[in-house]
Amino acid sequence: MSGGFDRLLDSVVRIDVRELNFEDGARRIDASIGSGVILSRDGLILTNAHVAGPKAVEINVTLSNLERVGAKLVGWDHWTDLSLLRINLDDAKRRGLQFKHAEFGDSEKLYVGEVVYAVGTPHGLTRTVTRGIISNNNRYFEDTEGVDGYETGNFNTWLQTDAAINPGNSGGPLVTEDGRVVGITSRAYLGANNLGFAIPAETARRVVAGLVRDGSITRSYVGIVLKALQDLEGFYDVATNSGVLVDSVEAGSPAATAGLRAGDVVLAIDGKKVDGRFPEQLPPIQNQIASQPVGSSLVLDYKRGSRELSATLVTARLDSRMGEEWVSDPWGIGVRKVSSAFARENQLTDETGVLVIGVQRGFPAEVAGLARGDIITKINQVPVTSLDAMRQIDAQYAAKPGPTLFEVQRDRRVTLVVLKP
Amino acid sequence: MRLRFLLLAAAPLLAGRAAAADLPALWAARVKCTVAVEYVTQTELERRPSVAYGTVVDGAGTIILPSAAIDLRVSPKQLRDFKVYLPGDPEGYPSEYLGRDAYTGWHFVRAGAAVRSRLVPITAFARPGAPPAGLADEIWGIGLRNKDEDFTPYILQSHVALLQSLPQVTAIAQQEVSGPGLPVFDRDGTFVGLGASSFGQTFLEFSGAERDGAPVMLVNLEESSAFLVAGEVLPYVGRVPTNPVGRPLAWLGAYGLEPMDREVATFLKLSSQSGAVVSEVLPGSPAEAAGLKAHDIILAVGGQPLPRFKPDRVVVDYLERLIAVRAPGDSMTLTVLRGGARLDVTAKLADEPRLVREADRTYFERIGFTAREFVYGDAIARHASTTGETGVVAHLVKPNSPADIAGLHPDDWIREIDGVEVGDFASAVARLDAIEKDQLRPETVFLVRRGSDTAVLRIKLR
Repeated sequence: MSGGFDRLLDSVVRIDVRELNFEDGARRIDASIGSGVILSRDGLILTNAHVAGPKAVEINVTLSNLERVGAKLVGWDHWTDLSLLRINLDDAKRRGLQFKHAEFGDSEKLYVGEVVYAVGTPHGLTRTVTRGIISNNNRYFEDTEGVDGYETGNFNTWLQTDAAINPGNSGGPLVTEDGRVVGITSRAYLGANNLGFAIPAETARRVVAGLVRDGSITRSYVGIVLKALQDLEGFYDVATNSGVLVDSVEAGSPAATAGLRAGDVVLAIDGKKVDGRFPEQLPPIQNQIASQPVGSSLVLDYKRGSRELSATLVTARLDSRMGEEWVSDPWGIGVRKVSSAFARENQLTDETGVLVIGVQRGFPAEVAGLARGDIITKINQVPVTSLDAMRQIDAQYAAKPGPTLFEVQRDRRVTLVVLKP
Repeated sequence: MRLRFLLLAAAPLLAGRAAAADLPALWAARVKCTVAVEYVTQTELERRPSVAYGTVVDGAGTIILPSAAIDLRVSPKQLRDFKVYLPGDPEGYPSEYLGRDAYTGWHFVRAGAAVRSRLVPITAFARPGAPPAGLADEIWGIGLRNKDEDFTPYILQSHVALLQSLPQVTAIAQQEVSGPGLPVFDRDGTFVGLGASSFGQTFLEFSGAERDGAPVMLVNLEESSAFLVAGEVLPYVGRVPTNPVGRPLAWLGAYGLEPMDREVATFLKLSSQSGAVVSEVLPGSPAEAAGLKAHDIILAVGGQPLPRFKPDRVVVDYLERLIAVRAPGDSMTLTVLRGGARLDVTAKLADEPRLVREADRTYFERIGFTAREFVYGDAIARHASTTGETGVVAHLVKPNSPADIAGLHPDDWIREIDGVEVGDFASAVARLDAIEKDQLRPETVFLVRRGSDTAVLRIKLR
């Protein structure tokens, strides 16, 4: 193999993560193993968002020389399933630990059939190299579940490879023979033979730059769900290879305010023609919208019936359906703040309330009949507008336990329950 | 001494009872009050026969069936071919479905003229002023075998184990005492109640995988150990509906009533009574006009506090029956708790908006789906405006039809057809009809709403 490939092998790490989860209504530590690749001399490691995210309480990295060193989260972006970590450099320096770093290759130039290697820690087997080819360099798939509930994949297509990818490979690099990173291995179809997927380096490079700069990626949201026009050009009377179909418009979104409707065909965004004939073409269009600064104006030229119209949208900040999580120990209840995206998806009137994600058996919340999926809208008749509000009441309860009245929404039904010490 | 006197007094009574009634004879006379009713649910794709048990309530051949006998989601127009079978007689006699009464929940059927003279109403065995069934009373009832055994009647015997308000006074026997919908009698042959739907009973199921036993709940559909006492039956047998849906239907428009449990009542210092939380107040409803608000807790109706029931959720049925017993136009004064203050609201009940069951439907064979009129309840279910909304609902999608292949789902709300907004039901039917008849047409495009999403569906017809 090339010198570059040897260097790459020395930059791949095993990542052990201990994560705090509240889904049982208590603080539970879950441990998992993933892979990552060192990107810089100052110890930046790129991995998957589903390997290490904000819930991580302890991250340990095993370098190629088998030495272990701690790391911290720099930032994550679940939309592209990428996370950036930094090695504890003081510790590494004190112990004289050496590591190398990898270079990105050009994922745009990959051709189908090109030989690639996946390097990682499948099932905990460190520094495993598997070989395959690029099976598809522009794979689109809809992923409504996302990663642990976090939305993923709307803004990029994937590299598909037949290099063997197993659990634990996640976050490891997909590289060419010269050892350049062309993708970050992120998932595979379980039960299938060698259908693995990686985030292209082109996407990763942009996300890394943003995470280094801001610690997070801010995107714009307009509230339209696009669909490929595929064969509907005739029906909508638009030229082939032009326009993209608006499949749905989210209520209360900037697009809805500007008057867009499902069934409209968007022809141009800010004067730039769009082509959404095939599903593979949707992520770049979505990315074009998302890349605008929040609050900027976008001009959409669109077609409705035989009329050509134009609308100006002011973008809002893209929000995840997953809000912040927290657990109340005395009540035995894990909750997640209702976000605007969650409220919209579930047709709630507003963002008031927290979603119950877990209850601990035998604790006051479970005894009172609260269950996963309930939305707590009021405590002691005061609306729960933030996790802080709930934390305050919880602290009062911890100091002086007494019966506490919860108003809970289950589907569309409102119930009152009393939590007793 | 006193004890001996009691024994002496009791002896002739017991002797008298034993001699009073020949149970097989009593049973044979009372079997004439019972029938099996067979009907067919005819959908676009299939005919599905069902059987229920009923009790004759008057001399005109009127029969009542329990609420569960007919699925309420089915349109009355799809209920066909009602036949009455006499116990032990293989012949089915064509009969008529009269409808469902909202207050009792009973379905009413009228036996055909050919068979009426062979029926005896249950009122013939009712004794006005008779004491209600009491704890430990000996009781017996009638069961009917299945159709392949000509609905042969048989006898069931038990004792009253418990009386509960659910909210109707319901007796629970030690074991099964009648078929659901069939009568129960005391030892003298007096009608004491009507078999209710049976309760689920929990059993442990053992299997190779579950050696410790997994709890399963079983419901006996043929026999029941619960019955409504005669006082909850006889006063209401005359509530024969004049139309299948049982209109007029008194409507308040307080949606999602949820019981206030004991802990909450205590917390709110209302421990002596019960209440019901209003989840939503429906737009355009009498509740809205009266100023009822979502999250109000209803504490009293007409000044009478809502009583406490076991289990707590019975209060919802109690409240719903207080509405159902009234008529559109009647007033109902509710005392509610709102943000710590008590206040009264008086609603003038209205006739309930057109139900999904009543909505018009048309089946389109070539496209492969049934279009259903968009009614009030559809708007509520979809958080949509209840006035001025158009479109039709996909009620049934035929498997492997063009509509199914294009991804149309039942309950999809069709807003546009071929890029043109769908108007009312009649105009939608006219357009779909034209599409079906146009043999040259290659496709049609629906814009549908599903939950908070919309989808454009391209239905290929050729």
